Amino acid sequence: MTIQVLDPASESNPQVIQPAQGISSLKGKRVGFISNGKEGTPVFFAHLERLLKEHWQVAEVVLRTKSNYSAPAQQDFIDAARDWDLAITGLGD
Amino acid sequence: MALTSRHYELDCWSDAQEFYHSRGWTDGFPVVPPTPAAVNACLEWANLQADALIGIEPVRERPITAEKLAINAVMAGCLPVHFPAVVTAWTGMLQPEFLLHGATASTGGCAVLLILNGPIRKEINAGCEFNVLGSSDRATSVIGRAIRLGLINILEVSPGAIDRSTLGHPGKISYCIAEDEEGSSWQSLAELRGIPRAASAVTVLAAGAPRQIMNEWTTVPEEILDTYAAEMRANMRNYLIWSGNYVVVIPKQHCDHLQNAGWSKADVAEYLFRKARITRAEWASVGKGSVIRDKGDVEYSALPSPAHLLVVAAGGPAGGFGAIIPPWLGTKSQAVTIGIGVCIDC
Repeated sequence: MTIQVLDPASESNPQVIQPAQGISSLKGKRVGFISNGKEGTPVFFAHLERLLKEHWQVAEVVLRTKSNYSAPAQQDFIDAARDWDLAITGLGD
Repeated sequence: MALTSRHYELDCWSDAQEFYHSRGWTDGFPVVPPTPAAVNACLEWANLQADALIGIEPVRERPITAEKLAINAVMAGCLPVHFPAVVTAWTGMLQPEFLLHGATASTGGCAVLLILNGPIRKEINAGCEFNVLGSSDRATSVIGRAIRLGLINILEVSPGAIDRSTLGHPGKISYCIAEDEEGSSWQSLAELRGIPRAASAVTVLAAGAPRQIMNEWTTVPEEILDTYAAEMRANMRNYLIWSGNYVVVIPKQHCDHLQNAGWSKADVAEYLFRKARITRAEWASVGKGSVIRDKGDVEYSALPSPAHLLVVAAGGPAGGFGAIIPPWLGTKSQAVTIGIGVCIDC
């Protein structure tokens, strides 16, 4: 005799998001950072901005810092990112 | 009742164990095979349709249905009578102020603490005395475990996947307690958070591990509470300085001393609000001097207000052992109290 058992996992179909096309060069581009706002981030992003401008000729760097590092980015950050050529986020803890 | 989850035919109980373990659907302990009959019994007890939407996890937009919660509750060992507490806890966890995704993904490694109040405690024989923060009884053990299995299976909150905890803590197996409402004349936690005493309720909090204190050498309220305040200050120095919903678990021996002196829960909260404070300069004593900068004189309070303290009477009848349970992330994630059987959208 067999027993019938049920699947405990989610069976919903998550929305599939297509990644944006990559860019071939950073030169003259506008790059946005979304920082989680943790203690070490100002120094880290300042260094990254300098590298991007000096070595990769990035035209402009925009920094947005989340108000809650464990929550998703605010909607106005997402809206602003539409004007960026490249967004850098999710850099770890 | 029509269930829509994928189902499997297995030969026996031991096959079911290996089947579930091999798919990462357990916490490492054996599970009760979730048969359609057992799952339906939970749903019928809670008067819920299988497809009832308990909420949607907002970050990953995952629907949380009653059927999936019931499957995981059965696996955890829940009887139908336990299931309403599981559903209510999830309802609370899905409120925006709880910040479920962050709380379950953070390197900080918090667990979801459940505190039961009201008649449900007696109906399910929830223990609130001896070993209350341990394996005190069947009901709180399986209800807490149902929350963890649901997170693992419905939201993929398994270690290294969504769960990025550096350490975690034992409460991530099961973390559910009941308040000893009969052991004191104090108002219950749920009452103080707006739920009528005759109703049952679940409070959920993203919480760190309990930090135990001991003071058996005084009956003076201020002296007893100074020990709790010291532990809260220690947490602020050693873990996180931000204010939030701290829990204090006060055992009967301390409750009796406090009540004999005429202290209410509000008095306890007011005292700890004033005493559980540190300056940022104190970080120098615990190796965090590098981030004091020019804020050394700034005073931080463990509690944004006295109302943020969750005072819970619980524990065995003898012993001056209490505990503080710190919040995971200050006020960024807040405690939520929901009445059992209450429709929050109605």
